[in-house]
Amino acid sequence: MIVISKVSKHFGAVQALEEVNLDIATGEFISIVGPSGCGKSTLLRIIADLLPTDGSVKKPNKGAFVFQDSALLPWRTVQKNVELLMELENVPDKKEKARQALLQVGLDGFEKSYPHQLSGGMKMRLSLARSLVLNPEYLLLDEPLSAVDELTREVLQEEIHEMWLKDKFTSILVTHNVAEAVYLSNRVVVMSPRPGKITHIVDIPFKKRTPEIRSKPQFSQLVIDICEKLRVREGNTAWK
Amino acid sequence: MEVKKILPPILILVLFFASWHIGARIYDMAFLLPGPWLVAKTFVSDFNIIMTGLGLTFKAAFIGYIIAIAIGISVATLMSLSKIMERSLYPYAILLQTVPVVAVAPLIVLWFGFEIKSIIIISVIISLFPIINNTLLGLKSTTKTLVELFDMHSTSKVTSFLKLSFPAAIPHTIAGMKISAGLSVIGAIVGEFIIGSGSESGGLGVQIIYAQADLETPLVMALILTATALGFAFFTTVSLLGYFLLHKWHESEI
Repeated sequence: MIVISKVSKHFGAVQALEEVNLDIATGEFISIVGPSGCGKSTLLRIIADLLPTDGSVKKPNKGAFVFQDSALLPWRTVQKNVELLMELENVPDKKEKARQALLQVGLDGFEKSYPHQLSGGMKMRLSLARSLVLNPEYLLLDEPLSAVDELTREVLQEEIHEMWLKDKFTSILVTHNVAEAVYLSNRVVVMSPRPGKITHIVDIPFKKRTPEIRSKPQFSQLVIDICEKLRVREGNTAWK
Repeated sequence: MEVKKILPPILILVLFFASWHIGARIYDMAFLLPGPWLVAKTFVSDFNIIMTGLGLTFKAAFIGYIIAIAIGISVATLMSLSKIMERSLYPYAILLQTVPVVAVAPLIVLWFGFEIKSIIIISVIISLFPIINNTLLGLKSTTKTLVELFDMHSTSKVTSFLKLSFPAAIPHTIAGMKISAGLSVIGAIVGEFIIGSGSESGGLGVQIIYAQADLETPLVMALILTATALGFAFFTTVSLLGYFLLHKWHESEI
């Protein structure tokens, strides 16, 4: 369980976040959507202890962060990149765990390649494998798919969903893509900018997620509803 | 493909020697402007003098270069680890670059004597700044997300330095070393100029002074070409090292 209470954040005179409260159940998948500058990445960094805050965040011990730009070490091979976090945290059996993780994300055979030789999608798979190999209790994802093309994006969404089904880590995904949020999440959190705060929380009722649900009317309706909520907020603030 | 790469610089070289040759023919005063052929002959006839000079200059420049690399990387590391260190040291590192080395060299010789020690020190002074500056830049060039990744998973500053900042700095350090390669030879020659006849046996710089005094212009030119080749050899060695270290991953060498 992750409990976010009274989290606010100032950068100088600018209020980035205003009293965010949110409880996330163990094994739940939450997405945070909102326009640029609403503080959703800031919130994710506060949860990860990368930024200080006035409020409090209670969370399990073991977590991992997946960055928008994959954050791979360019001088390390694929194999050595997967081993990196295990190396830093002194996890035993690095080699074997790395082998299995690469197999799971379909990067077996690329062990000796370097990141610059991989496509954007492969880099993100590598970044995911590097985090999941730690068996994290929670996973924070900061717009992980914003840099990949549309087709790869949907395939990777399905892969992330599979990983989540298999390992049941609690997930918080920050994204601009509403369809992505609807596809992956149990709940979608809508935020408004300046100062960033939660305006709506939308339950996503799907029991089973297969690529086909993307074309269901219910799916489209959820996407439209959430987009509407985002737009209304933006309209209001602009008008004020 | 390969021929296309090699041909242009070779063409320039041929053009250079040809115009030199023609110029020397027209001017026709060998003691002022000897042609390339005469310089080549001098290179053979005075081979022993030139090689002795080369050996001494190489020794001073090489030791100076290695010391500059060691000090440069250490100082840059110190500055990257502590903001206070950077603020207190960096302005003086710049002074190293702005001080006219030719003007300071006589002072160095006064202090450290008419020996190789002084030549090495002058060589270090002139080649130090590019290594400090580039290494520091490299150590600070790690992307924000990588720093955050290490903040989340690594508790030790030393680990972060060894596994993140240091490897990230290598391409920049190599670039600095390339600049300093030629400078270290220049520093050694300047040192030898100042020491001049004060030394017992002379490096290339000393030999140039002697040959110039005797109006042996072909020898002066042969010595200059040798010193140039020495700097070039340093540069090439570092370039190869850079290729060896970086060609698998860094965009500058891929």
